[in-house]
Amino acid sequence: MTTRGVSHPVASDAVVVDRVSMTFNEGKSNEVRALCDLELVIRPADFVSLIGPSGCGKSTLLRLIASLISPTSGSLLVNGKSASQARVEQDYGMAFQQSGLFEWRTVQKNIELPLELKGWGKSKRHQRSTEMLELVQLSDFASNMPWELSGGMQQRVAIARSLAAHPPLLLMDEPFGALDEMTREHMQAELLRICAASETTVVFVTHSIPEAVYLSNRVVVMSPRPGRITEIIDVNLGSDRDEDTREEATFYGKITEVREALRGAEAADGPRGIEDR
Amino acid sequence: MTFKKIMGAIGPPLIFGAIFLGIWELIVVVFDIKPFLLPAPTAIWSEFLERSDDIIEATLVTGTNALIGLIFGVVFGVAMSFVLMRFQVANELVTPLAVALNAIPIIVLVPVFNNMFSSTTEVPRQLMVTLIVFFIVMVNVAKGLRQVSPVHMELLRSYAASPREVLVKARIPNAVPYLFTALTIAAPAAVITAFVAEYFGGRQNGLGYSITSNAAASRNAASWAYVIGACTLGLIFYLVAVGLEKVLSPSQHSTKQQSGGLAPGGASA
Ligand SMILES: Nc1ncnc2c1ncn2[C@@H]1O[C@H](COP(=O)(O)OP(=O)(O)OP(=O)(O)O)[C@@H](O)[C@H]1O
Ligand SMILES: [Mg+2]
Repeated sequence: MTTRGVSHPVASDAVVVDRVSMTFNEGKSNEVRALCDLELVIRPADFVSLIGPSGCGKSTLLRLIASLISPTSGSLLVNGKSASQARVEQDYGMAFQQSGLFEWRTVQKNIELPLELKGWGKSKRHQRSTEMLELVQLSDFASNMPWELSGGMQQRVAIARSLAAHPPLLLMDEPFGALDEMTREHMQAELLRICAASETTVVFVTHSIPEAVYLSNRVVVMSPRPGRITEIIDVNLGSDRDEDTREEATFYGKITEVREALRGAEAADGPRGIEDR
Repeated sequence: MTFKKIMGAIGPPLIFGAIFLGIWELIVVVFDIKPFLLPAPTAIWSEFLERSDDIIEATLVTGTNALIGLIFGVVFGVAMSFVLMRFQVANELVTPLAVALNAIPIIVLVPVFNNMFSSTTEVPRQLMVTLIVFFIVMVNVAKGLRQVSPVHMELLRSYAASPREVLVKARIPNAVPYLFTALTIAAPAAVITAFVAEYFGGRQNGLGYSITSNAAASRNAASWAYVIGACTLGLIFYLVAVGLEKVLSPSQHSTKQQSGGLAPGGASA
């Protein structure tokens, strides 16, 4: 079952992307049309994955929702406010492709940074960061410096940091890309558990079809040049997903569906790419 | 283990130094080179022992000038780097300024300073050291304050951090390793400047003056004995700076991040 980006946004929606286009370096010779006329509505506690070929504008869409950049046209609402207002009120947590840890802070102090900027007291910060360290199974490394950790461990610290303030919205850009398969599956299960328990809305960028299918309620398939949404696939494997889910026929069925949608997106891109030249 | 490590680090240069001195001594003896051309290491050493009180006194004079200039230069350099950070235009001037200063041997300003102050004060020399250190520190620290990684900037933006919070949480800590790199460049440069400044006249007391005056009087071995003092002083300043860096800024990352700081200013004149 596929639906076009829902057309009846409500004030209580977590994210509303309304006819958003993004062109970098507009009017210059190096102009890039990254996104074109995007429409997407994400309800609270929804888990939405963005998937598509490299350069189709997944990170750009995430950065627009985060109000790190402003759209060329169209508008974005986050938690019923303008995206920039939501950023000022720190309504979201974000994890980037690179861990982006501060190398002069210990692991624990890195996790506490967003809490410091929210003005939390010392003991409250310490308590929360200790919890987060347990969650990502790095309690033994609390007082280590980031460079003493492996790339995957650093990424787990960055994820703990993005979750630390329990934001209502999580924006994640390929956060598990650097992790090994076992850790990755563990982190996926943990992420689902946390989000279900705290009713967190998640927008999750990934290159992995199984990951998108396993985690999401909906998978948004995008195509490049310029970035568009070609299909939105409902997944809903149910809230009692566990390791066995990965072996079920419905899981494989959805994987096939997403793969075909991705192929369709690429095929649609073919002639278009030629036209553009 | 640590002793082995230390020996591994300083062993080779020590052995090299010993061989070098041995060959030097041998050449002077075998070819019967006259002391006014090149004195033997043993002659220099006995001269050094004989004049050790005078040498220590001269070293203290030059060392004090270097230290005072270093302290003032660091303070003003750090202060100025913050001012530069506030102004985008000034910011863009830093790199060309550093390049220009590299080309101009500003040490030649010493005679000008000498004329400005009475000949019985150390101020012109200290001023010269301050100036050299100031530029080294300013250029490097300004770079550290400015070159915060884009991921960090984006992250802080996502936290809606104020400019002041960005300064405290990212810019200043980012600049700390740059400051220490600047110190390891500035500390030996301060000694060299303090000592070369004495070549241009002024009070007759420091290492630089003693070296030139003894050389002028053909007391070559004595002149070389003061060079030993100069080498020791430079080494002490450098090692203290490196030690401070190791203790106060033990980030592995920082050493990888920057490949040597910028060193403007004709300190090598
Ligand atoms: N700051 C920028 N300036 C100019 N062009 C940009 C900028 N950021 C992104 N782009 C361009 O926008 C397009 C989309 O980039 P984006 O990073 O969103 O892709 P992506 O889908 O995240 O790719 P990947 O899967 O490789 O991370 C690309 O063509 C890219 O070159
Ligand atoms: Mg990306």
